[in-house]
Amino acid sequence: MCITMDLHKQTLSALGNSPAQRSLFGPVDREQLQVEYQAALRRDLDQACQRWGFDFASNKPLEQSMFQWEGIPGNEVPLLYRSCLPGLGHTEGQRASEADLKPRGRGRVGQPHSEEENIHCSPERCDLHPEKTPERREDTGLKRKQTNITDFYQSKRRFIWTPRKSGE
Amino acid sequence: MELLCLEMDTIIRARPDPNLLCDDRILQNLLTIEERFLPQYSYFKGVQKDIQPFMRRMVATWMLEVCEEQKCEEEVFPLAMNYLDRFLAVVPTKKCNLQLLGAVCMFLASKLKETRPLTAEKLCIYTDNSIRPQELLEWELVVLGKLKWNLAAVTPNDFIEHIVRRLPLPEDKLALIRKHVQTFIALCATDFRFAMYPPSMIATGSVGAAICGLQLDSADQSQWGDSLTDLLAKITNTEVDVLKECQEQIERVLVSSLREGRQQQQQQQTQRGPSGKGLDELDQSTTPTDVRDVNL
Repeated sequence: MCITMDLHKQTLSALGNSPAQRSLFGPVDREQLQVEYQAALRRDLDQACQRWGFDFASNKPLEQSMFQWEGIPGNEVPLLYRSCLPGLGHTEGQRASEADLKPRGRGRVGQPHSEEENIHCSPERCDLHPEKTPERREDTGLKRKQTNITDFYQSKRRFIWTPRKSGE
Repeated sequence: MELLCLEMDTIIRARPDPNLLCDDRILQNLLTIEERFLPQYSYFKGVQKDIQPFMRRMVATWMLEVCEEQKCEEEVFPLAMNYLDRFLAVVPTKKCNLQLLGAVCMFLASKLKETRPLTAEKLCIYTDNSIRPQELLEWELVVLGKLKWNLAAVTPNDFIEHIVRRLPLPEDKLALIRKHVQTFIALCATDFRFAMYPPSMIATGSVGAAICGLQLDSADQSQWGDSLTDLLAKITNTEVDVLKECQEQIERVLVSSLREGRQQQQQQQTQRGPSGKGLDELDQSTTPTDVRDVNL
């Protein structure tokens, strides 16, 4: 492991005099970037809410929903479907524990949690060490939440005469 | 310990799989689905207000340099450019965030294609620390959302083997041809005019340009039967005229890219004094053996 770390440091410092290391368009406005990031997440969340007819901020189905939502106790949900793997601190099972929904739940709970309750696993929730990308071969056991791939796929147009590619 | 050390330098690659390469259905499926992953609009005419075509080239050239220097797999760069174009086709972006976007796209493409992906820290260093790993990870999520998590896009590189193995080419030249084709594909990815072309056309045009550039087509005319272009067009169901035009466009881009590269090198040499690097080589051949020669 030490060797890996040393080599890692070496390769990073060796970048120091590469001509490819350059800033192309000047400094980045950090505050503005953060504002845009939050706005982008919120937009994504809103879209997801509309699409699934479910308010992911308050964990309640929307009034007009194409889907009929049914609550089940959090501990009956396979790990895979919980917000985070266990042992990852405060976010653990947040969604799962709140999963017993009232079918006709009324009133949205404000928006204060909207960023946190993003359906996607945003880095600040699950990645305890956002500064470090997990090194290969470094088995830290820290993995991002395993989401179901179908969470993000739009149903695809498929032509009848097109054979479906396996895995698609 | 020794085992660990040995492992460090082994790049794990899958062997070419005949089940994937020798089955017509694979090529047909690639041709069927490739259009799904094209950017939807020519975004400089609508969506983008702050970004100009030359800025796309700047960020593309930078991305190519990083991929080259990090010895990324060949398809990482074209795939990253596909992500970049698809994102820019839907999200108005400021130029000061363009490099961040480029870094995110490389990050994603590298993770999808490589056994040892680029790390966030490394990419941030390449931006001269103008962005932070935290920001890279945050925007990764935004980009993923906009791409609808559809990352396994078809790239021109996916077609190379399918095309090459259907051509009567000398065995001993195959490695060189592949290398040239990859160079042309990377070159196309830096140029916005190719961004809306189907990957199969870019691949077919690149193979044509490589074979012509190496003058393999004139060596033994009889073996081709039909002309090279006709044969190529048949393989990927491209129209002959369109393909010809594409190949010529690729050759023009190469020439202008070489000229620019030479000018830049001369500028650098006058600034730093002679370094004696490869100028003559560039003059001798119109097809470079390395992407680096094209884009320096």
